[in-house]
Amino acid sequence: MGLVAVRNLGRNKLRTLLTVFAVSVAILAFILLRTVLSAWTVAADHAAKDRVGTRHKVSFIMPMPKRYLEEIRQIPGVQRAAGANWFGGKDPKHENEFFATLAVDPKAYLEVYDEVEVPEEQRESWFQNKTGAVVGDSLAKKMGWKIGDRVTLQGTIFPGDWPFEISGIYTASRKSVDRMTFLFHYDYFNDSPQAGATRDQVGWVVSRIDDPSRSAQISKAIDDHFEERDIQTLSMSERAMNMSFIGMISAVLRAVDVVSLVILVIMMLILGNTVAMAVRERTHEYGVLRAIGFMPKHLAVFVFGEAVVVSTAGGVLGIMIAYPFVENLVGRWLEENMGAFFPFFRIDPITILWALVLAGVLGAIAAAIPARSASRLVVVDALRRTG
Amino acid sequence: MSSSSASVESQVAASGIEAAAKGAASAIVEARKIRKTYLRGKEELTVLQDLDLTIREGAFEALMGPSGSGKSTLLNLIAGLDRPTSGTIRVAGADVGTLPEGQRAKWRAANIGFIFQTYNMMPVLTALENVELPLLLTRLSSKERRERAKTALSIVGLTERMQHYPRELSGGQEQRVAIARAIVTDPKLIVADEPTGDLDRKSADDVLALLTRLNTEFNKTIVMVTHDPNAAERAKKVHHLDKGALL
Amino acid sequence: MLIPLSYNVRSLFVRKATTIATALGIGLVVFVLSSALMLGQGIKNTLVASGSDGRAMVLRKGSDTEMASGIESNLVSLILAAPGVKRGGDGQALGTADVVIVAALDKLGQEGMVSNILVRGVQPDVMKVRPEVRIIAGRPAQPGTDEVIVGKGIRGDFKGLELDSSFDLKKNRPLRVVGVFESGGSSFESEVWADIETVRTSFGRGSASSSVTVALDSPGAYDGFAAYIENDKQLGLEPFRESAYYEKQSEGTSLFITVLGAAIAFFFSVGAMIGAMITMYGAVAQRSKEVGTLRALGFSRSAILLSFLFESSALALIGGVIGGLASMGMTAVEFSMMNFATWQEISFSFDASPAIVLGSMAAGGIMGVLGGFFPAVHAAALSPIEAMRG
Repeated sequence: MGLVAVRNLGRNKLRTLLTVFAVSVAILAFILLRTVLSAWTVAADHAAKDRVGTRHKVSFIMPMPKRYLEEIRQIPGVQRAAGANWFGGKDPKHENEFFATLAVDPKAYLEVYDEVEVPEEQRESWFQNKTGAVVGDSLAKKMGWKIGDRVTLQGTIFPGDWPFEISGIYTASRKSVDRMTFLFHYDYFNDSPQAGATRDQVGWVVSRIDDPSRSAQISKAIDDHFEERDIQTLSMSERAMNMSFIGMISAVLRAVDVVSLVILVIMMLILGNTVAMAVRERTHEYGVLRAIGFMPKHLAVFVFGEAVVVSTAGGVLGIMIAYPFVENLVGRWLEENMGAFFPFFRIDPITILWALVLAGVLGAIAAAIPARSASRLVVVDALRRTG
Repeated sequence: MSSSSASVESQVAASGIEAAAKGAASAIVEARKIRKTYLRGKEELTVLQDLDLTIREGAFEALMGPSGSGKSTLLNLIAGLDRPTSGTIRVAGADVGTLPEGQRAKWRAANIGFIFQTYNMMPVLTALENVELPLLLTRLSSKERRERAKTALSIVGLTERMQHYPRELSGGQEQRVAIARAIVTDPKLIVADEPTGDLDRKSADDVLALLTRLNTEFNKTIVMVTHDPNAAERAKKVHHLDKGALL
Repeated sequence: MLIPLSYNVRSLFVRKATTIATALGIGLVVFVLSSALMLGQGIKNTLVASGSDGRAMVLRKGSDTEMASGIESNLVSLILAAPGVKRGGDGQALGTADVVIVAALDKLGQEGMVSNILVRGVQPDVMKVRPEVRIIAGRPAQPGTDEVIVGKGIRGDFKGLELDSSFDLKKNRPLRVVGVFESGGSSFESEVWADIETVRTSFGRGSASSSVTVALDSPGAYDGFAAYIENDKQLGLEPFRESAYYEKQSEGTSLFITVLGAAIAFFFSVGAMIGAMITMYGAVAQRSKEVGTLRALGFSRSAILLSFLFESSALALIGGVIGGLASMGMTAVEFSMMNFATWQEISFSFDASPAIVLGSMAAGGIMGVLGGFFPAVHAAALSPIEAMRG
């Protein structure tokens, strides 16, 4: 019976081909959109569970006094902490490229962010060189920087030219950090005259805590500590921070979500239409089959079978195109040009699984009504129809 | 385009004058040494072999024969629906065998009326609209078209059904509407392919009576392919074909 | 010589289910296309409406956004004295300095979620320079107090951002909302406006400002103004036409939405065309006998071609009109997202225009024509005899 279903597909090759193609386009679009969604949330999903971020309570652009860092290290539950300052630098040679520039304490930062991996010699050379910088591998590739290169950044918040030397290139062992950040010595920044009013301030503090399940309590403990001060803090786990960032674009995410489902609806309309047309064409033959002795349920199975074969074939084709198109073409472009927002644009295997399952299941659903009408044929009427 | 339709029309006019001058009924169909072959895979099948046929104005002739005899193929050639592989065929004064498709279409519109076994009505058009269809290929105004169509429907006796759709008509009625459509342009030749094939006895008789009337009263030339001995009886002359040749 | 249009239209309605399914598919495509375009237009309108050609902004040189910029107080009067600055009836320059920060406020309805809102510290005479800002509820804030006014776009979205409510900017320093304002759909509507000194002292900004905005005598006066500011390198300032500044801000965001929208529209269009193609091939096949008969009767190949092209475009237009009309409903929807350049949450709307809605419907029609093209050619290519054989 499966053979009959497949053979029937060959009858109208063009229509079958078009339908398979339509399904594959829909599945391809579905995979693309779901990947956009998952890429946005990948940071939240992979956020380190044992890190807590602390920043100025009212505005993330306001810094906190540097001594807060030492006080946070004393809070029970905090194993180690590092501070970072947003520098806001730009490479005049690549005016329009946006990347994060952070002034950090090199040793402390790498300890807290242990997924930032820098080869031993590069790390040592950075520690020694006050004007040294360590940059993410994607950023280095984008800008064409190599170890030893001299790079001068223009400050957008702290004006002037800031010369650096590339001491190292980091890779990320987990998806919780992006690969486009420029890290340099806090002292280089703090000791220079341009630091101005921001001298001896820290932009935010990241702490490694001993017990991930207590991140909420430890965050509260940190904030309570500074409650009575002039400048209060807002602490939350890294995951919570990412979630609130995502919340700001939640409308876009919801829209993309809806659209990815609309695509599936359109796919079902096209598929259902095709199946219905095929059933109508073959009324006479179905009549003959029933006359011979096939039962209504057999006819329904034929119809379902054909539909599922077509939709699954389309799904597989869509998946096959998705890998080169979404990952290599679109993904690479997004990682390079919007790397701050899409650090990791990879298709989640779960998405592929969903795509395959949906292709098959929706094919069956689309075939439901035509299958029902095929099974309900009145034999003599069907035989009378020519064609 | 317009120059060739002018030439078609002038040919038609010329043959009419010729006929009038001759005084005798002129030949509407003149087929000489007609051959029709098809390529089936690598094999060449000969459907019509060196056939000669003449049909005069005012004739009512039937083509009969077993299936595969080539009778439908011959009818298609006469109707200008197809071209012979070799040989000449002149119908209504035009060398139909050599005309390219575009010109043949125009020629068909001007000269041929079709009656098919399965009626071939447009299901979404009313009887009146179906009859009007061939008139859209003329330059008549919409009022004139309506008039002509109504006249044709009254000749076949279906005036009261003119707003009905084909699905609301019986087989016999549909075929009569088809006949109205076939005569509405006043064609030189009416071509009928198994006109009674799908009809019950009574309706078949009605249709045949109508065809006879068209021939005797209105002097319409009719060429008919048929299996039906009753239909053959009504024709004035019967040609038998077998294996592509006239017997 | 043409096959009557009624033939095609009525044939569409014979195959009701197929026609509806295909029309719905195209309708969905047109709906999404139109909505995406409306959103893109809404974003553009909001961000670009914020900037006027008749105003100029001055930031510190090298700063891309107001937030990163700082201008010393002694420079402000220099800026106001520049050529091209419009003067009011009293002879005073029409210019104002702002201090801008992005503050985290609790979102209403989403527990634990905070989002960033732009708080602008403004001078008492700010409305003179920005006459498009109008109070629509409550009253203006009194200068030198803790009163603030809230843009209508964010009103009610955050804790405390409602008339007569208050929220804490700094500890023990609540700010009271006394008014709601609108500004012609610009991004100001997503801001909170407070007294400039209140903001300065809350955040230890001393006497510096983030930006200075002046009204120009005329849009053409910008060049003179800009030259004056830029020529004195000591000032370390950079002028922008206000419209140019906001356009730059919106670039990244609108590019993202546009690209995303275009990608979606592309896939959808392909789907719609294939759907139309399948349907029309089916129609041609089903009516093969009719096609053959028409050809036998003498209708030309091009008449058949045009006939089926008309049918597919009619089908597409029906769907397109439904989708386009439905998309107009989106104008009631408010959409807020992050402006990538400034990290603030801005609310956008779907802005319909006849060009967008009609254009999308027309695009739907074109999809129908393109999708129906090959089936129509196929129909025209049929020989009468074969076609009648069905």
